[in-house]
Amino acid sequence: MTTSDDEFSRELTRLTTAFAAQLPQQVQSLEDDLAAWLSAPRETALFDTLGHKVHQLKGAGGTFGCSTVSEAAQVLEQRLAALEADATGAAGSDLDEVEAAMQVLRREANRMYRSAAQRGKAGTQS
Amino acid sequence: MTDATLSRILYVEDDADIREVVRMSLQTLGKFEVAACDSCAAALELVDEFNPELLLLDVMMPDVDGPTTLRKLRERASAVGAPAIFITAKVQAGDMARYRNMGVLDVIVKPFDPMLLSSRVEQIWRGNRSKSNDDVG
Repeated sequence: MTTSDDEFSRELTRLTTAFAAQLPQQVQSLEDDLAAWLSAPRETALFDTLGHKVHQLKGAGGTFGCSTVSEAAQVLEQRLAALEADATGAAGSDLDEVEAAMQVLRREANRMYRSAAQRGKAGTQS
Repeated sequence: MTDATLSRILYVEDDADIREVVRMSLQTLGKFEVAACDSCAAALELVDEFNPELLLLDVMMPDVDGPTTLRKLRERASAVGAPAIFITAKVQAGDMARYRNMGVLDVIVKPFDPMLLSSRVEQIWRGNRSKSNDDVG
């Protein structure tokens, strides 16, 4: 590895840890956005905001080594698209699938958060 | 022309986490000079002073998307002929042909490996330089 590689690798570890540390908050924000949209399903701007955040998480998750978060976000993105396509809005089965996908995303986000916290603890002890 | 090396990259991305990792990758590993900003409006403020050799643009941004940002940047004399690369988490059938028609060199798909990003950008840039030289020759 070159000096540049080492330097970047250290920075990438720092950024990855910071990314994982705020994953639970990001998922909470998605859940809040989903609740806001469900309470006003005709407000397309609310849905667009939610969709954009999920799309960002899909791209960022994998880039920061959280591939399971990225995959869960991708599934949620697909479920949301199906829900939006349903003219009645929050229809039962589509909504159930969105909520199930959100649960998987939360579980993976929490797992990455705990993993990063453990790595951080190990790093300070070494 | 083949000796020309890439130095200045204007990068537009609304996701702060991705923007930071891409900026660091390009600067630290690629040794490029990078102007990174979060929107089309910010890019338009930077572009004339920065005089980019390459535009690196996120596709899905909330206010003005990547394709529109590219069109607006190319209206400026400082970026009129600047090659562009898109970064996106979603490439649908037909997108690539549409992007190429806009003069986009290639698309880097998210997620990507930050350790390999700068070499990928340089590879795309060199491919374009080589093609340009062939066209001239």
